[in-house]
Amino acid sequence: MTTQTALPEGPILTADGIPLKDSLQKSLRQNKLRAMFLVSTPLLFLVFLFIIPIGNMLTRSVDDTFINRVLPSTIEAFESWDKVSEPPESLYSAFVNDVKAADKVDIGKVSTRMNYAKPGWKSLVKRTARKIKKLKGPEYKDDLIKIDKRWADKEFWLSLGIMKDKATFGYFLNAVDKTYDFDKNIIDVEEERKVYNTLWYRTLLVSFIVTIACLILSYPVAYLLATLPMRISNLLMICVLMPFWTSLLVRIVAWMIMLQQNGVVNDTLVASGILSDENRLAMMYNFNGTIIVMTQILLPFMILPLYSVMKTIPPTYMKAAQNLGATPTLAFIRVYMPQTIPGIGAGCILVFIVAIGYYITPELVGGKDGRLIGNMVAYHMQKSLNWGLAAAMGSILLAAILLLYWLYDRIIGIDNMKMG
Amino acid sequence: MKISMKQTLLVSIVAAATASAAQAEVNVASWGGAYTASQQKAYSDTWKEGKVNWINYNGGLGEVKTQVESGAVTWDIVDVLPSDARIGCDEGLFEELDRSMFIPAANGDSMDEDLMVEAPNDCVVPQIWWSYVPFYQEGTFSGAQPTTIADFFNVKKFPGKRGIHTWPNAIIEMALLADGVAIKEVYNVMSTDAGIDRAFEMLDKIKDHAVFWSSGAKPLELVQSGEVAMSLAYNGRIGAAVLSEGAKFVTVWDGQVLEEEWLVLVKGAPNAEEAKKFLIHASAPEQQAGQARYINYGPMRKSAFEIMKAGEPWFHNGKNIMEHMPNRPEVMPRSVVANADWWADYGDSVSERYTAWMAK
Repeated sequence: MTTQTALPEGPILTADGIPLKDSLQKSLRQNKLRAMFLVSTPLLFLVFLFIIPIGNMLTRSVDDTFINRVLPSTIEAFESWDKVSEPPESLYSAFVNDVKAADKVDIGKVSTRMNYAKPGWKSLVKRTARKIKKLKGPEYKDDLIKIDKRWADKEFWLSLGIMKDKATFGYFLNAVDKTYDFDKNIIDVEEERKVYNTLWYRTLLVSFIVTIACLILSYPVAYLLATLPMRISNLLMICVLMPFWTSLLVRIVAWMIMLQQNGVVNDTLVASGILSDENRLAMMYNFNGTIIVMTQILLPFMILPLYSVMKTIPPTYMKAAQNLGATPTLAFIRVYMPQTIPGIGAGCILVFIVAIGYYITPELVGGKDGRLIGNMVAYHMQKSLNWGLAAAMGSILLAAILLLYWLYDRIIGIDNMKMG
Repeated sequence: MKISMKQTLLVSIVAAATASAAQAEVNVASWGGAYTASQQKAYSDTWKEGKVNWINYNGGLGEVKTQVESGAVTWDIVDVLPSDARIGCDEGLFEELDRSMFIPAANGDSMDEDLMVEAPNDCVVPQIWWSYVPFYQEGTFSGAQPTTIADFFNVKKFPGKRGIHTWPNAIIEMALLADGVAIKEVYNVMSTDAGIDRAFEMLDKIKDHAVFWSSGAKPLELVQSGEVAMSLAYNGRIGAAVLSEGAKFVTVWDGQVLEEEWLVLVKGAPNAEEAKKFLIHASAPEQQAGQARYINYGPMRKSAFEIMKAGEPWFHNGKNIMEHMPNRPEVMPRSVVANADWWADYGDSVSERYTAWMAK
């Protein structure tokens, strides 16, 4: 033992004298960097096209800082007002000073925001802003009321209470037919303005019906595709894929021609005497139209995952089950169906998620009672420019899908899902 | 093979680059169909200084707002509705224009003085007037024919379905007119809750007979196929079918709602200078009148109207156009000019109510 050389003091060194630990770390770091470099493109892609837009959407749905930035002293004066007495001069002069100091474009934008809280703000602010530069002061109350008598209306001032905070749930409330009163209590909107809850309910209902209809129609088709000889099943596959490759609009218009009141189907039924001319079926421009067309359009999303799963089930299993004494029906239910569950799950989730955000089909064939929440999102993005409300609806849709995904994971297990 | 492909690509890129350098291009977003075709013939085919790319869009400022906010503006000019013309200018999505650069009328009036309606702001350049108007197909009704807006809402006297659009503009005004409100009073009545209730009570009368449309070609199809007995439509669509295709449509010139249509320059437009030149050209009286050769939307400039009247038959296929103009003097007293400021205030809340009404 004594002849053995003593271990060198300090850390173990490599051949070129660097401590082993450092050398290892260095090479690991290099590996990591290389890996990072390789994933950086998809990562950037994810950040720019997914995380940032969705983050932006979520922020927009609650952000309410703009009015605080453009009308700071008005909000301050509002806070010190007791809300019971008549609006004081300080409120009027604060508003005039804010408008004088603000950028014209910002005033335009802020009036749009204020109009959400109380209709009328927009034209009131616009008309006033045009004349405000000429006002001398120091008292502004009478001048403003002279410009527009609505300035004497306490309600407009009180509505600032809804907008004074930097974040708001107003858009989310709006999306479910609720609103704030002037003290920021949550209340229902007037009965005749309730629209969104009906649409949420209908969207879920349509998605559900379409998913079930797709499943019922797709299952036999996928089964045929998976079990028929290659030559025939290839032909069938083309029949499934052809519509999938055809333009969405072409398919929708084809359905219109088929199903409208004076369409092919109704004409045939009338001509063959099954229907009288007055009793033509209303299959288009309503709820039915949306269901029929959406089902047809989404069929491939169900058939393809089902097919890919069924293809992997060896036909020998069914034979074995029957060999062991099961009737064909029992063998199908007990042996075959359970093995297709991953395909059913994938197909259902795919169809449901696509259906829940659908808007072009309902827009064209939905008529009065076939429009869905997606149509409202599109409307608020493109027409009313209420992006906050559109973002809130988008967030709710996103939450619904995540919830569904979670449920699926809990009940069936996400590892089980097969997309093909 | 690879090399030759690369070369072809390079050559075509160079060619494209030189082409764009040689001739200025202006991108104009408009509504497509016969309308854009008429703009093309009247404005861009007659413009020798540059080239215009017409882009179709479906209205609304969503796309413009996205472009301006992201700083990646590709459209130069947009054809906008009255409400969007105001919102976009207020919120800084459009450029304000020097009004003195536009071509005055022959009698010396400046462009703004020559307009039949006051320009709402300095962003807008005149385009046309169009209207929502009821129509039916000849032979639909035996006996008395519909002649007033009240007839449109009267399904007892004129049985059959009614085609109406999926948004509330114009139809609220029409419902009140049909209920006997005077044209001057329409927007005063609409500014009260009771007035809106009254409009919806009128709408309830046709609720069960309503077929809703959302694209401009639809009402023609609905009436042509007999799906509905009467429908509201854009007057230009009806006129195009009658003037160019010989359709037997009858327009009820009563209680129509006129809407303005403006051209605007997008803030930060990539080809702003050329776009301004194009706007000056397109808003001149000759071009305004020229557009009416191809579509029966009414020019906004009075002087253009004079040119058309003097030139009858003005339509390109030799038919008279004045009787199809929505803003001709004979029908103006029976028409409502849409009040875009009212719609800016109450549009959202009325839209919600209308959507709820449709869904019920």
